Amino acid sequence: MTGYPLYLLTRLGQFALVIFIGINIAFVVTHATPIDPVEQSIAASTQFGSINPEAVEMMRQSLKELYGLQGGLWDQYVTFWRRIAAGDFGPSLSAFPTPVSILIGRALPWTVALLVISTLLTWVLGNLLGGLAGYYRRNRALRFAGILAMAFHPIPYYIVAFLLLIVFGYLWPILPISGGYTMNMEQDWSAEFILSLLRHGLLPVASLALVGLGGWFMGMRSLVSNVVTEDYVAYAELAGVERSRILRSYVMRNALVPQVTGLAISLGSIFNGAIITEQVFGYPGVGTLLISAVHAGDYSLVLGITTVSIIAVSFAVLLIDLAYPLLDPRVKAR
Amino acid sequence: MRLWRAVVALAVVLWPLGAVAQGTISDLPRKETLIVENPEGTIKNAGWFNIWAINAGSQSNGLQQLGMDTFWYIDPQKGVDGVWDNSLAAEKPIYNADFTEMTVKLRKGIFWSDGVEFTADDVLYTIQTHMKTNGLRWSAPVQINVAEVSAPDPQTVVFKLKKPNSRFHALFTVRWNAMWMMPKHVFEKVPDITKFDNNPPVTLGAYTLKSFDPNGKWYIWQKRDDWKRTTVARFGEPGPKYVAYIDPGPPDKRVIAQMNHELDIIHDTSPEGMFKLAKDSPSSHGWFKGFPYAHPDPTLPAVLLNAENPMFQNRDVRWALALLIDIKAVSLASYRGAATISAIAIPPTGAGPEYYHEPLEAWLKAFELDTGKQKIKPYDPTIGKQIADMLRPSLKDQIPTDAADIAKAFGRGWWKPNPQAATELLQRAGYTKKGDKWYMPDGKPFTIHVTVEGDLRPVMTRAGSMVAQQWRQFGIDASTVVAQGSMFDRRQAGDYEAMISWSVETWGGHPDLAYFLDSWHSQFVAPPGKPQPARNWQRWSNPELDKIIEDTRKIGFDDPKGVELGRDYVKLMVREMPIIPLMSYNVFTVMDETYWTGYPNAATAPYTDPVPNWGNTKYMMVKLKPKQ
Repeated sequence: MTGYPLYLLTRLGQFALVIFIGINIAFVVTHATPIDPVEQSIAASTQFGSINPEAVEMMRQSLKELYGLQGGLWDQYVTFWRRIAAGDFGPSLSAFPTPVSILIGRALPWTVALLVISTLLTWVLGNLLGGLAGYYRRNRALRFAGILAMAFHPIPYYIVAFLLLIVFGYLWPILPISGGYTMNMEQDWSAEFILSLLRHGLLPVASLALVGLGGWFMGMRSLVSNVVTEDYVAYAELAGVERSRILRSYVMRNALVPQVTGLAISLGSIFNGAIITEQVFGYPGVGTLLISAVHAGDYSLVLGITTVSIIAVSFAVLLIDLAYPLLDPRVKAR
Repeated sequence: MRLWRAVVALAVVLWPLGAVAQGTISDLPRKETLIVENPEGTIKNAGWFNIWAINAGSQSNGLQQLGMDTFWYIDPQKGVDGVWDNSLAAEKPIYNADFTEMTVKLRKGIFWSDGVEFTADDVLYTIQTHMKTNGLRWSAPVQINVAEVSAPDPQTVVFKLKKPNSRFHALFTVRWNAMWMMPKHVFEKVPDITKFDNNPPVTLGAYTLKSFDPNGKWYIWQKRDDWKRTTVARFGEPGPKYVAYIDPGPPDKRVIAQMNHELDIIHDTSPEGMFKLAKDSPSSHGWFKGFPYAHPDPTLPAVLLNAENPMFQNRDVRWALALLIDIKAVSLASYRGAATISAIAIPPTGAGPEYYHEPLEAWLKAFELDTGKQKIKPYDPTIGKQIADMLRPSLKDQIPTDAADIAKAFGRGWWKPNPQAATELLQRAGYTKKGDKWYMPDGKPFTIHVTVEGDLRPVMTRAGSMVAQQWRQFGIDASTVVAQGSMFDRRQAGDYEAMISWSVETWGGHPDLAYFLDSWHSQFVAPPGKPQPARNWQRWSNPELDKIIEDTRKIGFDDPKGVELGRDYVKLMVREMPIIPLMSYNVFTVMDETYWTGYPNAATAPYTDPVPNWGNTKYMMVKLKPKQ
């Protein structure tokens, strides 16, 4: 077997291996945590109300039995892989007996929507403006946009997020600062609900876009600055090809290849959640779920989220690997 | 120019998204809605309302405050009609002579929210279900205590106990929570109650669930039309028609939300957040009218010293460490001065000062500590006043001047720092100082790791850092260890040397100490390496303490001898110093009067704890009235 089929097979093998190793590392790390979900449950149940000390040991045994934690680490490892093979992560230990898949399924659409929109928006705007700035280097507005992008880029994300929160939530309180939609509203896709979604998503998306824009902008401007010095661009200009066509067909298309790679990896990473964004804006999503699971020692839930994330990132990388030889003839399948 | 036009066009398109007025709550009148912080934050399993399953869902999302009920409530403050309230019970518990039987008389005319009458059958079902089902929240205490339960008539329940227990009623007496009654007619139809979500819940309280966010950000409860058939109706109609429990986010956002009048009650914020609201939000107030604002919870943060560590087994060492702490600096570092200090192992709040702090003041002043070289009187009764005086120049008339008010707000006295006495005590214990470092009797450096909770509890973390710093300045190799997220595990496992935490929690409004003290009996102290059951986290045992606990078990809950035994406990704790008490757990609950009035406060309405995650919050609802 040679050529693309061999390349495909090799990449698929690497994909499976990366997932297997990644999930195993996640299993070891989560089970090495000093936080015991049974003790967390006992503490939460006994720290406020009246409790008989004799009852605590009985409670401990009952919870171990209920959570299925009585076997050794190896038993839990085998059970874990058996469940993964069946597409099931088991019950959450901090929201027992609700399955982990239901909790992830409830949070994931929020994270995916937030990060897909903000990532695509940032990517399109950043590359467009960066491309234009790289090509029309004397344009004042684009130079100003470049200064803005460079100014925002190094600011830590949480500072920008808090700045937006203070400006639009306190000094000029026109936007909501918490939640995904207005309280007591039916999730019925009515115009009112969609407007509410947009209002609640505006600050989180804006914060991610403001910080993320600079990276794409500067990357693209730099790529375009290199491409415009290529001979074929010079020849096109000398041949009198329209500038907008040169920009579109000769410059941007060639400069975009590495940016597409970056986009695919960014999209794969969205399953990690946007922990700081969700915390600052009280936005629902996988990040908040992950933090809560870590604090509760809920390794079923942590493993569920990390497994989804590992598969998503690996899959994104696989797609790029498979698409590269087709997109760019310079990358040859052996 | 085209680019600029595009930017302007985008702004024009986006502007209405922000400008369109859209209230905090859809379709509900804000003036009829009380908005409260749920300190549990975002609830991951939002649609779970089976409170009898352990930690499967939220408790303080309004479920236990507005939906649940049980026999009795003890208020952490004065109570609406006294500290003790017979809620579902018509009278106090009736025990037989040897405390092996408890009879409960039930109140008539109380109905579940679906119209079914509450009777002894519900109680029987609740108890018998816990007797035969493992893994429910109260299965273990019921199975350990109850031999048999019966209902001679629809308004009487008799518990026969496996062994004498004069405090069995505590299981059904609310202090934050208690064992709630189950609706038999709902749960008896469920095949496996550990997997039943109870959504929507049928309630005994004056509210029912109206709606909730599947992502756990908010819950809205609505007043029952038949609220007169619930237990709080004895005190009047609950004011708010709707109550929303929300996750407003971190402390800064809670402050912003209240300044925007979108959050009526902040459960807790940072001292700095409280100061900001006190300064800039005229409609906001705390428990105290002025500084320190916060409500002192009946919980006592202290320096817990692990008694199973040889380092702390000598009383002289424990006392030396206490005498090295400057509580004024700890108060400033932790609560920015807004702490209510306590030298004794009783929280300085609720009934504590009346029954313990004030009567024992003379004894504390006279208490002598023999260092081997001198006898000192370590108690300085003026420290609370010194803290007030220290803060007065900057906070002016917010600081009380009356001695009683100062004692209530800042506490009374504490141990005066005395490095000389600490030196003498350590030397008597065999410790030596070489250069500027202290060494233990075995020649190893005297090293203490103070475990703190980190960002999850910044106030207590700052207290721990200050204590460690003061010990370090004396030559002890002290430092803090951050156990973020794993504090409970380490506390239960005994995996710490010293820790800023609490093992003393009281009823607040009632002086009986068995609530926490019974668990301090040596019979419950776990050997090293084994988990320690709540609440003797310091694993300290003492024959004299055992005797106090055993004597308490033999007397009734309201027996005046209980207070005498409680004072004996306090004196023993002062002599032995197994933990170093610091202060009460002050909670910066902030209430906004833009829409509602009648909140509890220390001066004119101390009818309950304002902290809104307690089950006792149900009494606040009947006191709240809409602002005219």
